[in-house]
Amino acid sequence: MDLPTRIERFRETVVEWLRGLYHGMVSHPAYELVEKEAEDQEDAFLLSCFPDAFGIPSPVSYYTTELLPYLAEEFEQWERRMWDRESMLQRKGEQYHF
Amino acid sequence: MRRFVFFGGKGGVGKTTMSSAYAHKCATEGQDVLLVSTDPAHSTADVFDQPFDDEPTPVDGYESLEVLEIDPEEEVTEHLMETKRALGDQVSASIVNEIDRQIELAHQTPGAHEAALFDRFIEIMRESEHDRVVFDTSPTGGTLRLLSLPEYLGGWIERLVEKREASIDLYEKAAIGGREPRRTAMGDPILARLRARKENFEFARRTLRDEAAFVLVVNPDELSLRETERAVESLADRGLHVEGLVANRLTPAPDDDENGRGARFLRQRIETEEGHLRELREEFDPPVLATVETRVSEVKGSFLAEVADELGVDTQL
Repeated sequence: MDLPTRIERFRETVVEWLRGLYHGMVSHPAYELVEKEAEDQEDAFLLSCFPDAFGIPSPVSYYTTELLPYLAEEFEQWERRMWDRESMLQRKGEQYHF
Repeated sequence: MRRFVFFGGKGGVGKTTMSSAYAHKCATEGQDVLLVSTDPAHSTADVFDQPFDDEPTPVDGYESLEVLEIDPEEEVTEHLMETKRALGDQVSASIVNEIDRQIELAHQTPGAHEAALFDRFIEIMRESEHDRVVFDTSPTGGTLRLLSLPEYLGGWIERLVEKREASIDLYEKAAIGGREPRRTAMGDPILARLRARKENFEFARRTLRDEAAFVLVVNPDELSLRETERAVESLADRGLHVEGLVANRLTPAPDDDENGRGARFLRQRIETEEGHLRELREEFDPPVLATVETRVSEVKGSFLAEVADELGVDTQL
């Protein structure tokens, strides 16, 4: 194997490692963070739509039930998540990989 | 007079009588009239001696008068069934039960009746092709709440739209490097539904402000006057147009030569009422459009035509 090919190969390996490191250390946590924030926002949306699931009466629940057929899956997961969640900090903490 | 005419007032002042008489008057002048009763007591059936339901039904003896009684209970049930049907179409059977419970729950809240009533209201204003639609409303408090719904619920729905948009925006931002976002704003059924609801409320607000007139029925007594005062104020606050007041149940005067106990009572009673009428004329902004005397029995049949004659409310289209 001649020198230029070995250099070329070495460079490829370095680039792959760098991309991997960048992905693992920067971009993945970044979009994970954004996605988690999106999930939190969606939880807040579901809570404002269906507060009566937790005993808080809402003036618009008559209208928001119309959304349930399209939110069914999320609704069920959300309800379970809300009942199980111990504190707001627990969830927020998860995002920072302590 | 505007196309949609609402008769309001305290319970028992004669809203049904006045709205029926007004509808009678418009119809006998050749207008195509729909009388809508939103009062859960539904006394229109008694006035016309004929049963009505949730669809416009022609009244016997009239060429162009139809009556419709809104039944909120039925509206709620219908909405419930519709939502359940949509659920069956969209969702696998395994989680239907869980969701069903939530849907049932929401249809039992106190707001459900109001919302159902209001939806039907909007539907009638949107779809009716009558020259004139007369509404016999429920007692003041309920009606005022109903009329403030577009503002109140419209604002609420708007906040829901914003929240949904925010989370979708984040999902789209999280989808970097050619990944498929979990949700997209395009074709999101939730946003589409919420926006349609919002548009409906805006239509109601616009129509009530620009095409509806209110006539308040008042009895010449202290309680009725005070409630009317508050009603005029809150209608004005909401930018709704009060056409005028109709004083109902005035005591008829005895003949001059009568001097028995009954006649003396009537004269005293008339004196008190005149004081109240003066206050109505001088201190209330909306004009007194008509004064109607009390009748010896329920207003129906030929009495209706009589009252309609006394009812000096404009019928011009």
